[in-house]
Amino acid sequence: MDFSHYNDAERAHILKLLEQKQMRDFMKFYSNLVDRCFNDCINDFTSKTLTTKEETCIQRCTEKFLKHNERVGQRFAEYNQSVAAQQQA
Amino acid sequence: MSFLPFGGGGSSQQTINQQNVAMVEQEYEAVTETFYRIVDSCFKKCIPPKYIEGELNKGESVCIDRCFNKYIEVTTKIGEALAKKGQEAGARAGGFGV
Repeated sequence: MDFSHYNDAERAHILKLLEQKQMRDFMKFYSNLVDRCFNDCINDFTSKTLTTKEETCIQRCTEKFLKHNERVGQRFAEYNQSVAAQQQA
Repeated sequence: MSFLPFGGGGSSQQTINQQNVAMVEQEYEAVTETFYRIVDSCFKKCIPPKYIEGELNKGESVCIDRCFNKYIEVTTKIGEALAKKGQEAGARAGGFGV
């Protein structure tokens, strides 16, 4: 996203909008992650508190998903860079 | 179309082009949506829900890289196929429109 041809008012407005969207998307990310790890890890309802096994699973699930998200982000950034480089050529 | 910013307090008389804003908004939404879909799809395909550890093992890492590349390739190929269909439909319609 290239901001060079926008005036200051537009830039400020756009940045504020994007900030709101990012906040919204973070909330979506959070609830999506909770959903995912809950569905994958929690299947034992003989107790109302998490078992040690379940707690460990949740921690690993969270870590794994975050690392996965990070890796995809890296590949995505590389891809966007290569596309931008091609467009300039 | 230009709109004066609300409550400008006399500080800035720059107009905000709503089309510019809309374009950036749409780009953000499209990029974010694509990214989220890739994360979701490749997680389902590459990471078994066993969670033996929190780190990505080598196999999973390689799978993610390849999954990403293939997803992009599929997106491109389908885009090309749709464009081609659109062109063909346009050409046929032009012929009938005589």
